[in-house]
Amino acid sequence: MRRLDSTWILGRVAIGGALLISAVLLTAPAQGEDRADHFESAIRPVLVEHCYQCHSAETTEGNLRLDNREGLRRGGDRGPALVPGNAETSLIVSAIAYQDDLQMPPDRKLPPDVIQAFTRWVNQGAYDPRSLPNRLPGAASPVTTVESASHLWSLQVPRPQLLPPVVDRSWPKRRHDFFVLNRIEAASITPNREARRNELIQRLAFDLIGLPPTEEQRHTYNYTQDPRWLEQYVDELLASPHFGERWARLWLDLARYAEDQAHIVGNNEALFYPNAYLYRDWVISAFNRDLCYQNFVRCQLAADYSPSDTTELNALGFLGLGPKYYDRKRLEVKAEEWEDRVDTVCRTFLGLTVACARCHDHKYDPIPTRDYYSLASIFASTEMHNRPLHDGIEVSNEGQAKKPSESSHVVREGKATDLHVFVRGNVQNLGDQVHRGFLSALSNSNDMRFSNGSGRLELATAIADRQNPLTARVYVNRIWLALVGIPIVTTPSNFGALGARPSHPRLLDDLAIRFMDNGWSTKWLVREIVTSATYTQSSRPTPEQLPVDPDNRLLSRMVRKRLPVEAWRDRMLVASGNLDSSIGGKSIQPDDTTSTRRTVYARISRFQLNPMLATFDAPDANVHSARRVDTTTPQQRLLTINHPFMIHQARAVAARITSHPGSVTEKVRFAFRLVLGRLPANDEFNLATRYVNEHDNPEHSWLEFAHSLLASNEMLFLD
Amino acid sequence: MTHMEDREMQVSRRELLKKSGGGFGWVGLLSTLQANVAAAGSSTQYQVGCHFPARARRVIFLFMNGAPSHVDTFDPKPALAKHEGEKPTGKLFKAAQAGFMPSPFKFRKFGQSGVEISELLPRLSQHADDLCVLRGMHTDVPNHEPGLLVMSSGHQQPVRPSLGAWASYGLGSENENLPGFVVLCPGRPVVGPQLWSSGFLPGQYQGMSIDTNETDISKLVANLRHPTLTRNQQQRQIQFLQAMNRIHQKTRTEDERLESHIKSLETAFQMQVQANEAFDIRREPERLRQEYGDTAYGRSCLLARRLVERGVRFVQIYYVKKNSKQPWDTHNDNNGKHRKLCQDSDRGTAALLADLKSRGLLDDTLVIWGGEFGRTPYAQINKDDANKPGRDHHATGFSMFLAGAGTRGGLTYGATDEFGMHSVDGRMHVHDLHATILHLMGIDHTRLTYRYSGRDFRLTDVHGRVVHEICS
Repeated sequence: MRRLDSTWILGRVAIGGALLISAVLLTAPAQGEDRADHFESAIRPVLVEHCYQCHSAETTEGNLRLDNREGLRRGGDRGPALVPGNAETSLIVSAIAYQDDLQMPPDRKLPPDVIQAFTRWVNQGAYDPRSLPNRLPGAASPVTTVESASHLWSLQVPRPQLLPPVVDRSWPKRRHDFFVLNRIEAASITPNREARRNELIQRLAFDLIGLPPTEEQRHTYNYTQDPRWLEQYVDELLASPHFGERWARLWLDLARYAEDQAHIVGNNEALFYPNAYLYRDWVISAFNRDLCYQNFVRCQLAADYSPSDTTELNALGFLGLGPKYYDRKRLEVKAEEWEDRVDTVCRTFLGLTVACARCHDHKYDPIPTRDYYSLASIFASTEMHNRPLHDGIEVSNEGQAKKPSESSHVVREGKATDLHVFVRGNVQNLGDQVHRGFLSALSNSNDMRFSNGSGRLELATAIADRQNPLTARVYVNRIWLALVGIPIVTTPSNFGALGARPSHPRLLDDLAIRFMDNGWSTKWLVREIVTSATYTQSSRPTPEQLPVDPDNRLLSRMVRKRLPVEAWRDRMLVASGNLDSSIGGKSIQPDDTTSTRRTVYARISRFQLNPMLATFDAPDANVHSARRVDTTTPQQRLLTINHPFMIHQARAVAARITSHPGSVTEKVRFAFRLVLGRLPANDEFNLATRYVNEHDNPEHSWLEFAHSLLASNEMLFLD
Repeated sequence: MTHMEDREMQVSRRELLKKSGGGFGWVGLLSTLQANVAAAGSSTQYQVGCHFPARARRVIFLFMNGAPSHVDTFDPKPALAKHEGEKPTGKLFKAAQAGFMPSPFKFRKFGQSGVEISELLPRLSQHADDLCVLRGMHTDVPNHEPGLLVMSSGHQQPVRPSLGAWASYGLGSENENLPGFVVLCPGRPVVGPQLWSSGFLPGQYQGMSIDTNETDISKLVANLRHPTLTRNQQQRQIQFLQAMNRIHQKTRTEDERLESHIKSLETAFQMQVQANEAFDIRREPERLRQEYGDTAYGRSCLLARRLVERGVRFVQIYYVKKNSKQPWDTHNDNNGKHRKLCQDSDRGTAALLADLKSRGLLDDTLVIWGGEFGRTPYAQINKDDANKPGRDHHATGFSMFLAGAGTRGGLTYGATDEFGMHSVDGRMHVHDLHATILHLMGIDHTRLTYRYSGRDFRLTDVHGRVVHEICS
């Protein structure tokens, strides 16, 4: 047997590329029929050069390995890669010949002589001396298995924590302050003291109800000597019906709330959600009545499971307002819709990116593809439902309201379906059948199958289970982010291996456990956080803090938060006196000068988001949004200085200023209090009076002055 | 690149954005990479382009909404005449109601290269040696919505960032006073703003859409002018506002966002002048405006040239009309409609190529022409008007062309079968087109990624091959 130095060939081929392959073919096996020669010279180099990158131990696309003899014979998702002796029926030959839909290598067709060489090789029995390479001892599998789930921090059940030691025992006010202070002291810096009273009053109002404090609240709480003023004020805000409006908007970002579809065929509005607001109203009410979070979850996933009680049905809008895609009867399209439901549910409630597992086992988290299809089966067993608002409404044979405007957009039970795995996400390529069920990594027993209809109630129960290590942590982190401005886990919807690690893991566990102990009450959680030393401290950094804690990950000071577009616009409406503070109801266009309702009532479009909202970073409602991103763009400033809505509000503010009795001095002081909630400092006062006094047109001067206050940076930032 | 490095890059990118104050595509990946390199103390230098030198510094994508017919424009098929009326075979086309329909339009070879072009495009034919005609294009689905989305974002569902957003994310803008990605759109195409969405990329990479039906500059760009104040009056107001912002900032100096907001307001104020100038085609000589044609499409082409000249990275023109979201969707009277549409498209496109060339801009400006797919080589008969047959949607083979910026002019690349049914040679999927466009812009499509929802996303997902054969 002639031996070719295969190492040499491999090395050169890797460098020289395709040209060299042809050269080797010409020189090596042409005259002899030595099968080993043929393999080493014409087959192995091609496999190494063109196939191993995707089909070997490192990467196994299509579950196919071409780096050993067995791999080729056993094949991958599409079956054996070759049938020895029969090139015609061998997948590898048809794939490299680009004969069928499977065309390999995908980047370019191999030269004809290579294809001939492979055909001959297979026809002659596909001689292959390669054995399965042994895995190096200790080499980890790239795919996380369910068994290794125990290593992921977020999948451990939260553990009760002892309070860590602190030096300055006068600073902490709540349990979590100890965890914060412990870290700050370890860095040899000191946290801030309480913020100025006026700042704190303002901060609490915007954070809890999304509106500025009233004149009366400022007056009462600024001057009271009562040491319990903070608790009283917080309770007053928690009891306000505006509390639900502020917190609902946060939830609607997660729930990708919208009132239409991204795809609109012609002017067909049949798939729109004209009464989506009913779900929004339900969320507002749920926060206002402090619905226990476990029930909050259950209502949104399975309110229809208690037929006698229809009061919470609108909660199903969480699922029922999901996107409906173009041509939605096709299986491929259905699969896309199920992905939306799985993605939204898992990221919102569990902080897991399960949708990755639609095409392959999750590369980093313990989520096998089977789990994805178990969850998808739940939604394949659930129907989108336009439920008639009341009796006497025209319905189709299937019980759907004929006009969407006469219905609430919810879900109902469909035919219970257990899907097959779609191999690599391809709906034509069916793998094993799965059973409706939950994520195996979060199941206590090996098997968590659902059998009650679609399984939505069982899903809700599994999510809202005290033993579920994610649910409370994920929610607590979201509320913390909204109030403190920096989350404990900076990837609020990804608690998986590729998500961030918690900055204060013990604090998160402690708070999550106490949240559950306190009846899963959102208001309890909010109160706990905002009455703490961490929250109430000043946002101005000291010179010693900045070099040690530049990003404020230690929370040595409060975060100066930028107001979301909702609070910013509402704040202007309060200043102009135009705000209509009624709760609930149909949607508005927020940039319309005649719109006076709060911004939470803005119509949200998947097709074209209102330009004011889009300009100020409201998220795209086609998908779940984990947290808002703050951008700073000239378009924002153009809108601020030129938009008719702004000028309309400025005019109203100017009218209030000019009708305020007194001199320019008194008017200027009134204007600062009205718009910014404080009196002007000396330099501001001088600047403002000079601007007004020196203006050539007294009427315009107040309008421009008022507009400048509304357009100022201070309107957007909360100390 | 490992995931870890990628994450780090994103962090520094975010910080960079924060520091630079964001804005119209302020920093592209290019500067991020440079910043990272600088931070790492390496001496590696990056030229224009992220991963290798760019041939295309800017892109103008001329999109013929509704899908033009390849066998009537760039892909002559004499066999259709010979087999007129025969029904196509193959399971995809079993349902065809009518047989092959030859094109009534004459094809001729043009230029030194002999690129074959239909008589519908006489002006464009004069640029034959600059055109790189792709006859082997194919896409996934012969329906407008998914077809448009695949062409604009590489994915059939509307969640992904668009090509223009990726390009301006990758390379940033060359003019801080103008957006990096502008969409010129006289009306509203099917699918709509999703076509120029930034998806999960930061919001500043979203296309700024301009309704080119408007000829009044103040209506063309949103909020570009105060309704009542003169520039001098507004300047006085802005000065006052900035003085207040400075006082507010004085006791909060550590907060860089406040400086960004102040800078951003300055930019906005400057942009009012800049954009007024950039978007105003009335400043062009009358003769040149005539050359482009006084139609929405002609005006868009001229505006596109003004914008790329001023540093806008990516201009996308959608050929739509006020009353039609997809004029090229010629299900009936294919021939009559193509006559009219091509006349308009021919004029504006040819004028754009000539204008770019005369200014030396064609060397590094990539021009792309095409639709979401092609049209059937066989007829579609309409009950109402049987004398004016149309052509249906067709995804398995169609034509586009590229020009300028390192593409091989005078090349006809790829082919469909003898009837124009299937792309059989030089096959290029839309992913391959995207990979090649990014390549021409100096970007490796496999390395332009963005971490979102737990994984790294690419414009080309797991697909795409750079078609080096069409690059010079």
